[in-house]
Amino acid sequence: MKQIYEVEGTLNRGFVGQITYTICLEDTLSKLDIHFSFDGDKRTFRPEDVTDALIRETIETCRRNYALEIDEDRARGIILGDMKTEIHTLATLNDEFLGCIHKQLTDRHMLYENGTASEGCVPRESFEGVLKVTVLVFNVIKDKTHYRLTVSGE
Amino acid sequence: MFKRYELHNHTTESDAGITCRQLIDHMLADGVDCFAITDHNTVSGQPIIRKILAEEHLPIACAYGMEYTTYYGHIVCPVLEQYVPWDSINRKKPELLFEAAKRAGAVTGVAHPFSYGDPFARGCRFDMEITDFSNVDYIEIVNNPEPLHEVNEPGILWWESLVLSGVKVAACAGMDLHGLDSFAMKFATYAEGREGGDPVEELKAAVAAQRTWVSKGMLLLWEKAGDAVRFTLHDAKKPGFVPAEKYILTLKTKDGTRAWDIPSGGIELPLSEIGECAVPKLYGGDTTLENLVCVAPVIRAEE
Repeated sequence: MKQIYEVEGTLNRGFVGQITYTICLEDTLSKLDIHFSFDGDKRTFRPEDVTDALIRETIETCRRNYALEIDEDRARGIILGDMKTEIHTLATLNDEFLGCIHKQLTDRHMLYENGTASEGCVPRESFEGVLKVTVLVFNVIKDKTHYRLTVSGE
Repeated sequence: MFKRYELHNHTTESDAGITCRQLIDHMLADGVDCFAITDHNTVSGQPIIRKILAEEHLPIACAYGMEYTTYYGHIVCPVLEQYVPWDSINRKKPELLFEAAKRAGAVTGVAHPFSYGDPFARGCRFDMEITDFSNVDYIEIVNNPEPLHEVNEPGILWWESLVLSGVKVAACAGMDLHGLDSFAMKFATYAEGREGGDPVEELKAAVAAQRTWVSKGMLLLWEKAGDAVRFTLHDAKKPGFVPAEKYILTLKTKDGTRAWDIPSGGIELPLSEIGECAVPKLYGGDTTLENLVCVAPVIRAEE
C-alpha cells in the first residue's frame, strides 16, 4: 500500500480530548490501513517514576474523588498497577462511521481489505472522499508522550 | 409473561475476550430472551450478530447498541443502530448527547455511575452533570462485576432519590460482560412481554413506562386494587437462582423505609403506605444489601 499521510506529535501529561486529522482521498481505494502508535514505555509508570509528589497527588485524588483514604503503599500500587496512558482511534469517511479501536494497544492498525476489517471496524469495499481520523486521548500520564499516525491505501 | 434482558455486553470488537459468536452462545445457554451488544464506541459487531441470527434462526433476540465511552462517563445504549458521534461531549451539558442518541432511536442508560474513574480508569465514573433527565431512559443501578457497597449501592441510592423527587427514569442492571462469566445469582433486567412479541420493542416500551425489574430471579409484582396495593412473587426461573426461605418487602418513600414479611401468597397494603411515590424492593432473609433480590417498578399514587 502507498502511504498517503504521516504525522507525528507529542502529548503533554494530563491532556484530555481529541485531535482530528482530515485527509482528502484523491483516488478511490480498495484497501486502507490506518496505523497509530504511541510510546509504549510511557504508557505506564515504572518504579523509578514514583515520586513522593506523585504519591501525594494520588492520595489526594482518591480522597477528593471517592472519599477513599489510602496509604502510601496502596498509592504506589495504584500508580504502578492502574494508571496508564489511554488513547483510542476513531475513523469516519464522509462523516460515516468506519470504526473505533478501543483495545488498550500502543500499536494498532485499522485495516480494511478484501471485504474484511480489523476488530472494531466496519468492512467496506471502497474508500473515497474525506477521511477523518480522530485520536481520542483519555489519559496521558507522562509529558512528551510521542505518537505517530500513518494512513496508507491502494 | 416476563422476558429477561441482558443489556450490557462486550465482545472482541472492543475490549472483551469473547467473540460475537461466543456471546450469542453464552446467552443462549442461559436462556436469555434478549441480549444487547454494547461494545465501547463501535457498532462493528452488530452486522456480525445480525448475520449469525438471521442464518441460524436462533431462539434469541438481540438489541443492537453501543456503549458511549467518554472521558466523563459511560452511556450504555442497548438500542443504537447507527453510530452517533460524541466528540462534542460537554461534561456540563451531557443532555446534548443523550438527545442526539434518542433522535437516532436509542435507548439510553447511565452505566455504572459510581465506578472508580481517575486515577484508576479515567471515564469509568459518571462525572457528567445531568439537569434534564428527559432523554435518559434508565440508570444502570447494578453493574454486576462492580463492588456492591462501594459502587452499586450509591447507584441504587441515586436512582431512588431521583424517582422519589419525581424524575421518571427506569432502573436496569447489566453484566458488563467481557468474558464468559456466570449469570447465576447476578442481577438481570426483566420486562413484561407477550408470547411472540418483539422483545426489543417491548424493552423500549418498558423503559419508557419505567416498568422494568432488576432481579436475581424472583420478581416482586404489584397491582393497585381500590385503596390497596397487592404484592405477589413471581419466579422468573433464572438458572442458578437460589430461592430464600423467607422474603421481605420494603417500601422506600420520602418519609423513610418500612418492611413487611411477604408470605408466598402475597400481601396487601393500604395505598396510604405508598404516599406520593414508593420504591418497592424484595429481600431474601433480611434487608442487608447482600440479600437484595429484586427492585420493582416505582409505585406512584397518581398513576
